[in-house]
Amino acid sequence: MTVHLSRRYRFPASHRLYSPALSEEENRDVYGKCANPHGHGHDYEVEVTVSGKVDPLTGRSVDLNRLDALAEQQILGPFRHRNLNEEVPVFRSIVPTTENLSLEVDRRLRTAWQDAFGAAGPRLEKVRIWETDRNICEITGGPAGGADA
Amino acid sequence: MVISKKVEFSASHICRSPQLSDAENEHIYGAAANPLGHGHNYVVEVAIEGEPDPVTGMILDLKRLRELLEQRVLDVYDHRLLNREVAPFDRIVPTVENIAIDIWNRVAPCIGGRARLYSVRVHETGELSVEYRGEK
Repeated sequence: MTVHLSRRYRFPASHRLYSPALSEEENRDVYGKCANPHGHGHDYEVEVTVSGKVDPLTGRSVDLNRLDALAEQQILGPFRHRNLNEEVPVFRSIVPTTENLSLEVDRRLRTAWQDAFGAAGPRLEKVRIWETDRNICEITGGPAGGADA
Repeated sequence: MVISKKVEFSASHICRSPQLSDAENEHIYGAAANPLGHGHNYVVEVAIEGEPDPVTGMILDLKRLRELLEQRVLDVYDHRLLNREVAPFDRIVPTVENIAIDIWNRVAPCIGGRARLYSVRVHETGELSVEYRGEK
């Protein structure tokens, strides 16, 4: 029997939404206060949804220790209490919006997934990130958005 | 169209399999393997799929759904030790996965008329939830 299990994690981090390819005015127009030069922070919430068959012996669909370890190693460790623009390499060249952050989280999990769970293990179905209660981004089925991308 | 209803119950459980060693149980379930048990405030979201009735404008009678959830789920689960008091958890471990499947099995056959059960989502804590949509 296949179920979808969702696990939530939190990390605080700071960022600044500012593109060097845009003028000061354009940055202000697109990002508003988020373009302030010294940056600002959020308590990000990440929800990872995994589909898997329930093991008849353990009643578990995914090894939660392994999922927690993967989240810690790929996301929470590198992002917690960091300045995303300065300290996470990918955000030196792209703006750390919730969209780009979600894509990066999805990419990191997907890259390490097979080593952690094997080819026959549970599947990564969805990543959701809450930047605030009003600002939420969801990535389903990989960065291309296709079913098997 | 999918409509969902949320109910809550409080219950205790022990996540421990007699087929596994103490070390294995503690590795898999962590503190949840404590043989004396512990509890949660479970939140259950039941989603029903169907088209609104042209006369009532409703997919199904929500009062009836509430009664159904009370009888089939809350009366069975609320303020119980799941391992001892709720079948099938005398045989299988009451993980949140198995709870979602069991609630599905209790509710699905009772949704009549134009509607069908679409999903059961069970939140064990704010950090852990499971969704089950039956077998395709």
